[in-house]
Amino acid sequence: MFKLRTLAMLAAPIGVVLIASSCDRQPGAVAPGIGKPLAHFQPGNFVCVPVKITGGGRIDYPPEQAEKNPPASHEYETFGAHVMGSGQQDANGVCLADKGALEWVDHRPEMEVNGHPLNLHATEVTFAEVATDASCTDGAVHWGGKLRVQNTGQSDLDFEVWDCDNGEPGRNDGFAISVPAIDYAVQCFTVTPADPTCYLTGGNRQFHPTH
Amino acid sequence: MNIDNFRRAVLIVGLALPMSWTAGSVAAQTARSYGVKVSTPTINQTASSAVLPPGGDMVTNSGQSIVVGSLVTAQDAFAIVTGDADATDGSNAVSSATLGAVSLLSGLITADGVVAVASSTIGGNATGSDAQGSSLANLVVNGESVSDPAPNTWMDLPGVGYVVLNEQIPTGDGVTTSGITVNMIHVVLLDALTGVQTGEIIIGSASSAVGN
Repeated sequence: MFKLRTLAMLAAPIGVVLIASSCDRQPGAVAPGIGKPLAHFQPGNFVCVPVKITGGGRIDYPPEQAEKNPPASHEYETFGAHVMGSGQQDANGVCLADKGALEWVDHRPEMEVNGHPLNLHATEVTFAEVATDASCTDGAVHWGGKLRVQNTGQSDLDFEVWDCDNGEPGRNDGFAISVPAIDYAVQCFTVTPADPTCYLTGGNRQFHPTH
Repeated sequence: MNIDNFRRAVLIVGLALPMSWTAGSVAAQTARSYGVKVSTPTINQTASSAVLPPGGDMVTNSGQSIVVGSLVTAQDAFAIVTGDADATDGSNAVSSATLGAVSLLSGLITADGVVAVASSTIGGNATGSDAQGSSLANLVVNGESVSDPAPNTWMDLPGVGYVVLNEQIPTGDGVTTSGITVNMIHVVLLDALTGVQTGEIIIGSASSAVGN
């Protein structure tokens, strides 16, 4: 055990250096255009830095409030989502995501497809940039990529997400999504004018400024 | 892994991690959710189950139609678990299980929307777990409508056993560990003569736990 500890203590600084060197900050990020003007946070106020945001939960939309709708209304969405980026940009200045995932279920009766809840599943997460002026105390991230509509099989659809960690408890956090190709969006511009995220009515988002 | 083993795993996370060999703290998280679980002498089935792997990330599972003998029918079950262990910035785990129309025991219990959400966080300025976002829609138990049941609402089911609605089971010490399991409908089947438990049915279960 002593040898194992010694080996680990010697290896740890090397690992830290390797990780740190892969996370050099590259400010001035831009997100890729995906079909319509991006109305996120405050235009232009993003940086490409190492980031991770994790968690999931529930949103009751509409009417863009921090309280649950009556359960019988079925007016809610549930989701899980995470993204991680190391602050690297491509040749076009896009702030690249290293990995990510999104599962989104819209339980609203009016959004049903063939009698089942609308289910969106990310197939690729391509970008993640940190918002510097959002009204989120712990951190805010704009990220996105490609997704598939599980109900119909429509795939390779661009999506973007606005993600807000507003401290604890998680019900102060926010989340918003847009899929322009199917004219689908859950956004709450009226709640926090600086960004379109809707309050979580359950669950939690956790911003990790380092990784 | 049945629910009891999962609870033991959550407990082990809470107890074992502070005793680990590293000089600094070791962060960890667990999350699990499922739509339907039936345990009887003849049936042992869990449907639409998702379990978070040790390294975190996200796992999902779903099923459009679930039928377990004459005990359970359920529509549109989704299980989502996600989380991350981070000793520097804090750890979190979130799990959810949602279902559409459900019917238990040939209609003895029905609901047309079940949501179980469990969330645990540790680090920064807060440590805690909650079941915010959990709900039951149009719940009817033995002919009686039940609206928005309080946590751990207990109702007798004559000749069958009893049901616990919005069951919430906290775990952890609230300082270095925190967790919660929420079971939206938990039926305990009892032998009518002896009162001995013969099985259980759980609809909409979400668990989360974190440790530092």
